[in-house]
Amino acid sequence: MTAATDAPVRRPLAPAGGAVPLTAARLLRLELRHNAMPWLLPLIAALFWFDSYRPSTSMPPYWVLRTFWNMGQGATIIDFAPFVAGAAAWVGSRDGRRGTADLVTAAARPRWAVQLAAWAATAIWAVGGYLAFVGVLFAVYAHQGVRGEPPWWWVAVGAAAVLAFSAAGFAVGALYPSRFAAPLAAFGAVFAMLMSSRIGFSHTSGWAQILPTNSNGNFQPDSGMLYPWLPDLPIARIMFLAGITVAALCLLGLPAAAGGPRLRRAAAVATVAGLAAAGAAAGLAGTARLGPHGLVIPALHDAASDRPIANVPDCEGSGFRVCLNPDYRPELTAVTAALAPVVREVAGLPGAPTRATQVAAAYSAGEGQGGQAMTISGRPPVLGMPLGALGIPGAFGWTDGEVAGQLRLLFVHAFVGAGTSIGTPAQQAVQAALLQGAGLPIARQPNLLASAGLWSLARTTGGPAPGPPPATGPVYAVARRLAAMSAGARHAWLAAHLAALRADHLTLAQLP
Amino acid sequence: MTAAGVHQAASGAGSAPAARPGPAWLRLAWLYLVSRRAPTALVLLAGCGALLWAALHLHWTVAGGPAAQMLFPLVTEAGAAAVIAATTYGPFGEPERATGRRLPYLRLGVTVGLTAAAIGTLAIGSTGGYLPGGLAAMARNVAGITGVGLLCAVVLGGMLAWTGPIAYWVLAEGALANGLTTPWVWPARPPLDRGGAICACLVFVTGLVLITVRGVHESVRDTTT
Repeated sequence: MTAATDAPVRRPLAPAGGAVPLTAARLLRLELRHNAMPWLLPLIAALFWFDSYRPSTSMPPYWVLRTFWNMGQGATIIDFAPFVAGAAAWVGSRDGRRGTADLVTAAARPRWAVQLAAWAATAIWAVGGYLAFVGVLFAVYAHQGVRGEPPWWWVAVGAAAVLAFSAAGFAVGALYPSRFAAPLAAFGAVFAMLMSSRIGFSHTSGWAQILPTNSNGNFQPDSGMLYPWLPDLPIARIMFLAGITVAALCLLGLPAAAGGPRLRRAAAVATVAGLAAAGAAAGLAGTARLGPHGLVIPALHDAASDRPIANVPDCEGSGFRVCLNPDYRPELTAVTAALAPVVREVAGLPGAPTRATQVAAAYSAGEGQGGQAMTISGRPPVLGMPLGALGIPGAFGWTDGEVAGQLRLLFVHAFVGAGTSIGTPAQQAVQAALLQGAGLPIARQPNLLASAGLWSLARTTGGPAPGPPPATGPVYAVARRLAAMSAGARHAWLAAHLAALRADHLTLAQLP
Repeated sequence: MTAAGVHQAASGAGSAPAARPGPAWLRLAWLYLVSRRAPTALVLLAGCGALLWAALHLHWTVAGGPAAQMLFPLVTEAGAAAVIAATTYGPFGEPERATGRRLPYLRLGVTVGLTAAAIGTLAIGSTGGYLPGGLAAMARNVAGITGVGLLCAVVLGGMLAWTGPIAYWVLAEGALANGLTTPWVWPARPPLDRGGAICACLVFVTGLVLITVRGVHESVRDTTT
């Protein structure tokens, strides 16, 4: 019997084309099983609940408001980023810490490929965890009856950010294999997010829009309700984060030990391409201009995104009909009740609207859209209400009373023809008198003007905003006289002089 | 694992202090410090101090009121605590535990020393500008968050010890943003608040006692530096 006969039967080698993916899949499976990331997911889940879910429940049930902090200002990314970066750094530093780098370098597969498998496993756990947590978050919102459309593009940005932090953390670990690699990467991620918030909050335009925590002018009502979420900025951000991911990973393919010359050349090209993509994305964000539905990046914009979302309004009221977008249905009764005193006050006067309908709120450059005016137009006249730009009960501290007062004020403001300005002194006086007739005492009106953003329009100097002035001075004196008149006399005077008042032809002295 | 990995000495371990004759306790302390990478930790703590100096000097702040002004100082404090937590585990595992009679004293000394160094470097860093809460709040925060890191090292092991300080930062950031004032989130309390100081001290002392007596939770897979 020969040795050849005793030798166990060998299975024939698989063709090279099939063996490589199979080996890679095995490697990935091993890395997935031994990865550090799953150990951190329970901790992230707890922080996610505390930091991303819990504060959002205080907001009214609209997607854009519920997700303002966790998607618009990137709280979900802040919850994930340091732990993903730290875990990835720990995995990336493994060969260096254990002194197995030589062994891996001499193995059949290029070291870079092995590193990519370890990173891929970390990234799969991290992005999978992110998508699972956000999925649960959105499912809870949906179960609570949150209205509108979810900001899916921002979810994609968050996943891309998690991917980028995993790649950056992995690179830190691979390049600095030490016990301090993980805390350093985590600390770096926290610091990066803080800098993103610091720069982003103070920049309403330009390259800083690329930062994932910047919500200025890109996350406001009525997105997802009256018009779609614009994908322009999210696409640029995904491009930016993907560029960082590619650059960080391909950086590891540059050293001599990473692989053969061809592989290293490919890594060099990919590194440059990744950096170029990130730079191009920042450049694209710099070209963004504020449109009525959000930030528009001309090179990425699709005109189809500008089409409003079709809807059949929900209406309420018998004489004076109030019609809102169906997503705003929960506000309909309150809005109708809030407008009713003003409707009674102006009934029968020239230009008095016969119904009110919701119009789309236009985006503004800051974080919110305070102070957008109502309009009265058409025949018969219709009151247009940009509800998305106004306060909603429960959102950012607005109370029911404040919201009702705001609606009455903006209705009267539009009725006296003041438009988007604070109005002439005569218009202000008539406005104050009509508001008093609608149940808002003159003494409380300065606070109301300030909360509606109209007071800020009257300020002509910079510096910190002083508190609203007391209801004194010639305007309020005339308003008090007008309010003191009998309802019939005031009605008759207004009927005769409203046209002149709206055309700015009346002075304060010409009022009774 | 290659032979190179086994024979590779920790930086400085076989150099001057080992070669020169000297008091045994000094050599032991030095070897312990090197095995825990304490010199590197000191450099990183100095980096945290420098970063705090830069943040205060260059007025790095996040919009959002007084609570938001604390975020940059707090992240340097959490970073320092994470570095200290990462020094707690050693590369020798069971043999060291079995033979090192003075190990608890060494653990205690190094942890207290590094915490003091962290407070010192951050105090120097605070000369860059106005530090919200002042030095008292900074010392309280560093001690408390270091305690969180030590507890994590005892429970989770050295591999994951850094997660405690970082998680605490995220928690404190959320609490500051939402106006929570429980003393367990001491960064959200006034500098001389008794409740916050008691909680921070309690966490630090508990972590210190446990790390001194029990040491870190040993992980079979990750005991090498």
